[in-house]
Amino acid sequence: MSNVRVINGPHLRTERTTRQIMMYVTLSLIPALFGAVYFFGIRALYLAGLSVTICVLTEYLWQKLTKKQVTAGDFSAVVTGLLIVYNMPVTVPVWALAAADIFAIIFVKQMFGGIGNNFVNPALMGRLLIMLVWPQAVMQYVVPNTINPDAVSGATVLGTVKGGAEAGYSYLQMFLGEIPGAMGETSKLLLLVGFGFLCYKGIVNAEAAVTYISTVVLLTFVFGPSGLFTGDILLNLLGGGLIMGGCYMLTDYAFASRKGKLLYAATAGVITAAIRIFSNYPEGICFGILTANCVAGLLSMIYKKHVYGVKRKDA
Amino acid sequence: MLKKIKHAFPGGVHPTDGYDKALTMNLPVRVYWPETVTILSEQSFGGKCSFLVKPGDQVTEGQEIGRPEAFMAAPLHASVSGKVVDIREVQNQGRNILACIMKREGPEKEENYSYQKGLESLEKYTREELIAMIRDGGLTGMGGAGFPTHKKYETDKKISELLINAAECEPFLTCDYRLMLEQSFAVINGVRVLLKASGADKAYICMEDNKPEAAKLLQKILEEGKDQMQGEKPVEIKILPTQYPQGGERQLIQAVLNKEVPMGGLPADAGVIVSNIGTAKAAADMTFAGIPLTRRIVTVTGSVKNPGNYLVPIGTSARELLNLAGGVTVEKNRIIAGGPMTGPCVASDWNGEEELFYVTKNTSGILVLPDREYEESPCIRCAGCESVCPAGLVPYQIEFAYMNEDYDLCEELYASECIACGCCSYICPAKRELSVRTRMARDIVKQRMRERAVKKS
Repeated sequence: MSNVRVINGPHLRTERTTRQIMMYVTLSLIPALFGAVYFFGIRALYLAGLSVTICVLTEYLWQKLTKKQVTAGDFSAVVTGLLIVYNMPVTVPVWALAAADIFAIIFVKQMFGGIGNNFVNPALMGRLLIMLVWPQAVMQYVVPNTINPDAVSGATVLGTVKGGAEAGYSYLQMFLGEIPGAMGETSKLLLLVGFGFLCYKGIVNAEAAVTYISTVVLLTFVFGPSGLFTGDILLNLLGGGLIMGGCYMLTDYAFASRKGKLLYAATAGVITAAIRIFSNYPEGICFGILTANCVAGLLSMIYKKHVYGVKRKDA
Repeated sequence: MLKKIKHAFPGGVHPTDGYDKALTMNLPVRVYWPETVTILSEQSFGGKCSFLVKPGDQVTEGQEIGRPEAFMAAPLHASVSGKVVDIREVQNQGRNILACIMKREGPEKEENYSYQKGLESLEKYTREELIAMIRDGGLTGMGGAGFPTHKKYETDKKISELLINAAECEPFLTCDYRLMLEQSFAVINGVRVLLKASGADKAYICMEDNKPEAAKLLQKILEEGKDQMQGEKPVEIKILPTQYPQGGERQLIQAVLNKEVPMGGLPADAGVIVSNIGTAKAAADMTFAGIPLTRRIVTVTGSVKNPGNYLVPIGTSARELLNLAGGVTVEKNRIIAGGPMTGPCVASDWNGEEELFYVTKNTSGILVLPDREYEESPCIRCAGCESVCPAGLVPYQIEFAYMNEDYDLCEELYASECIACGCCSYICPAKRELSVRTRMARDIVKQRMRERAVKKS
């Protein structure tokens, strides 16, 4: 007996699924994980595994307990887990990492309705929590193994320069990742390889990332430490987590228009640059992106998309 | 010679890689005459007719058997010669509709006319005469909603351009393509009829760049017939990128003429009439041979043994056509009336036995697809739907507002402007039923707008 029911179209659907997108993002983060292990030792791998496990498990348990649709298998928690670990130094205590994971998944992601409904980036909030509550836990940066195998502590490049000293590392070292810093963000090369893969797969649009990064670089150049137009472009670009932030943390949010998305990226860039120039924090990426996350709603009101047939204002 | 338009409409999707059309596009149209036909009194939604015949009457092919009762209706004609067996309600796409059932006794008219082999002169007809012939021939739009053609052409608005829609952007369908290849002279003659009937200054035959053969053929006829068409308004072929929904009339106007139909308006408000290429061919039948709209080409394709295009009388049973094509090849299937993007699914897990629906004037295809179930997951705000929406809407926001029953917000988000193309549902990685819900939101918003207008007056 055939089943007479009227189902509306479309009857063709793209093969792409949420799970597949998140899987691609996870894949794109793998090169940076190799980098982390190479520069900071095998502990980086253990921490990454632990962070991912905690994130997925937390999400699963929360969804089971609150009787929600279980989406813990969609790889989005894996991405959050990896991003959190990438944003911490290899010396991070396990309890601090676990706290960041659980906070990000439960308080930032799930309490706001789960995937897609969180208004700020969970990974950044997880990092912010530790930064503000137990700063000493995430401030112990170490020199890469390849320079000194004894895990001696060392300040980040941007931190050193902020303190008035010489960077002490070449631009090439910064690009390849041979500098003290958070585990996943030191190697710009490996991050860009992953990001290129995402662009190729059509999962991200590089426009917002480019806007954000160039805004920061431009502003820090113009308002340099010793007067106008004296900023170090390459240092700002490669020295810290700017590429990580622009490529993986910023493009977390959807916008109603292309222009709006660019405005949002530029806003994050201005705030990041302002923090780098005027405050004691050398990076400013975390605050820049999180603030832009929060004002995204306001920004989207400025640019309205043109709806077919509605009279254009300039017409 | 044939220039391609680069700027199309914003958004849109590419649902397939072309395998779908390849199933049928190189197969010549086959003529099929069923033993009985079931002609529905309502050929398109809201187009009700009353029958002029009763059971036992002898009818000849082309005889008027139904008179329009509603605004959306056009006259109905017998599609076969024979005897009226019964007039009763039949099940069609989930509704009961009064239908006239006829038994064919033949013989069929031989189709052999000069307008199918060369260009005809249009000088002896006035615009009014042409529109009257179109009306009496029961012509309705053969590509989309089945709007009576003469109603479009009777407009008192100034029409500057006529767009002939040969985009055939729906995957799988090839009936328009085959028509252009096999009836190219009739098609061009029909376009000229419609151009004169519209009073427009120029006609554009618009097709996607996946039909180069048809474009070349029609272009050749236009070039060689220049002298014969002297003094007539010009006809031009426009090649558009292959992109769904290129054939949506609003998107076609935007792509070809770079203008938009104002919100809440009709194409005529922008000085344009859009008609399907099949409609043009049928207009030629009426003008030069006095044949009303009684037959059409239907693409039977997808998961069937022998896909193909069939020229059939109006009222042919879809079940019969599917079995003619060798039957379905998948057990868990969906039977779709029309194309895969906008066509409704009329049955699933169909076994070849039950009646499905009957071919109407706007049935372009019968498609069988494997039935696939998708589980909806939460929206991840990837904004994919927003970037493919040809109307410029943000479907995920409308969906959210609709599910929260916030119809004020739906209206603010211009849900009323949804064209129901289905691009948003197609692209959604979370497999959300965006298109279905946005369409429902649109209907509610439109209803509220009408109610407000009534209250005001």
